[in-house]
Amino acid sequence: MAHEAEVREVLARLRTRTADLTAAVAASVDGLVLAADPPVADAEGIAALTAAALGVGLRLADTTDRGAFRELLVHGENGYVATYAAGPACVLTVLAGPRVNVGRLHMEARRAGARVAELLDGEAVRLEDS
Amino acid sequence: MANTETALKDAMTSIEGVIGVALVDYTSGMALGTLGGGKELDLNVAAAGNTDVVRAKVRTMELLGLKDEIEDILITLGTQYHLIRLLRGRGKNGLFLYLALDKSRANLAMARHQLRAIEADLEV
Repeated sequence: MAHEAEVREVLARLRTRTADLTAAVAASVDGLVLAADPPVADAEGIAALTAAALGVGLRLADTTDRGAFRELLVHGENGYVATYAAGPACVLTVLAGPRVNVGRLHMEARRAGARVAELLDGEAVRLEDS
Repeated sequence: MANTETALKDAMTSIEGVIGVALVDYTSGMALGTLGGGKELDLNVAAAGNTDVVRAKVRTMELLGLKDEIEDILITLGTQYHLIRLLRGRGKNGLFLYLALDKSRANLAMARHQLRAIEADLEV
């Protein structure tokens, strides 16, 4: 994964720009970790559960005719966990505290998702070239 | 009594020089409603950003030991006024009205007065 450091840098920047955001994990849609910041112990578990939730989310969006997947937000008593699309093959899952500015979280995470998608897109092209 | 939509429409049409207006929940940073703005002023971005402004001021007052409430916050730019009015009353705590005005066309005293009246009439 040539781009792991760059993806982790995007995640780190996302975390410094959003107060109360505790962790960010970039994962493939089938549940494999691409990068995590900070290196959380349970990144694999988060990525796997994200893939499962994504499966249900996609089907729900499809059944109700809501189009392509954009994001998934779970609000618990102790905070938020949200998943954002990052291109067709990757997603960004973030953990945030209960006091997070959700408006800002959406703004920053969508931007980070687009950036990760760009990085991975570049990688796919390079693999085809070689 | 006016609902959110009516109140925003009222602010947009009755206040001179308005660029955009939003009703924002500053516990989440999300806008309950927006009107105006357009390409040069994304009101959802403004809602999230100004939530940080309000939270910072609330926190500063706590640190200073000021047992008081914020009525409004005025930010003066080169060409615009931004007015943030915190709402009080049943079901309205944790919300603020955000108003962006064109400095050359706006009457600040009048705008504040009208915004106060719109707030009093608003039922969320």
